[in-house]
Amino acid sequence: MAKLEATGSIVLGISIDSPAANNAFAEKIGVKFPLLSDMNRKVLKQYGILGTYNVEKEEYDWAQRTTFVVDKQGVIRQVEEEASAINPNNAVALCTKLVKK
Amino acid sequence: MPRPSLRATLPFLLFLTLVATSLASPQNIKITHTPLKAGDMAPDFALLDNHWNPVRLSDFRGKKNVVLAFYVLAFSEG
Repeated sequence: MAKLEATGSIVLGISIDSPAANNAFAEKIGVKFPLLSDMNRKVLKQYGILGTYNVEKEEYDWAQRTTFVVDKQGVIRQVEEEASAINPNNAVALCTKLVKK
Repeated sequence: MPRPSLRATLPFLLFLTLVATSLASPQNIKITHTPLKAGDMAPDFALLDNHWNPVRLSDFRGKKNVVLAFYVLAFSEG
């Protein structure tokens, strides 16, 4: 993540947790970037990544793990879903490339 | 063209019903894929950060590249 900041990029984490839960999480894992709270699932729906999960016959919905790289013009440059979204290397590589332009 | 008899269409209707019920049956996870792709404009949004400050995606327009990292839940391995 420090590598991303060095490229003049910012990371925004987004989940359905409350700001209070996100802050506790941020302190626990020591992240410095903002963790945003999408409690009403508005942004998840906008981005089409609201997953529905069935737990003990009750349905819950929360974010699917996805990473978007958005350039300074607001254009999406890269989308990574699920397993590949955990590894930040591709995002770092792209941000480094975007800065050199 | 003669109308197909009920006898002929019934198996097909049954098949359709089976497909529909199997699709509707509860699964543990319903995966949806984002329709957004590289080259699309990122939809703008305003959300509260972990210090209760509003953050807009458009705040960074012309300033920084933004990595939007959607995660499952705080305190989970996701």
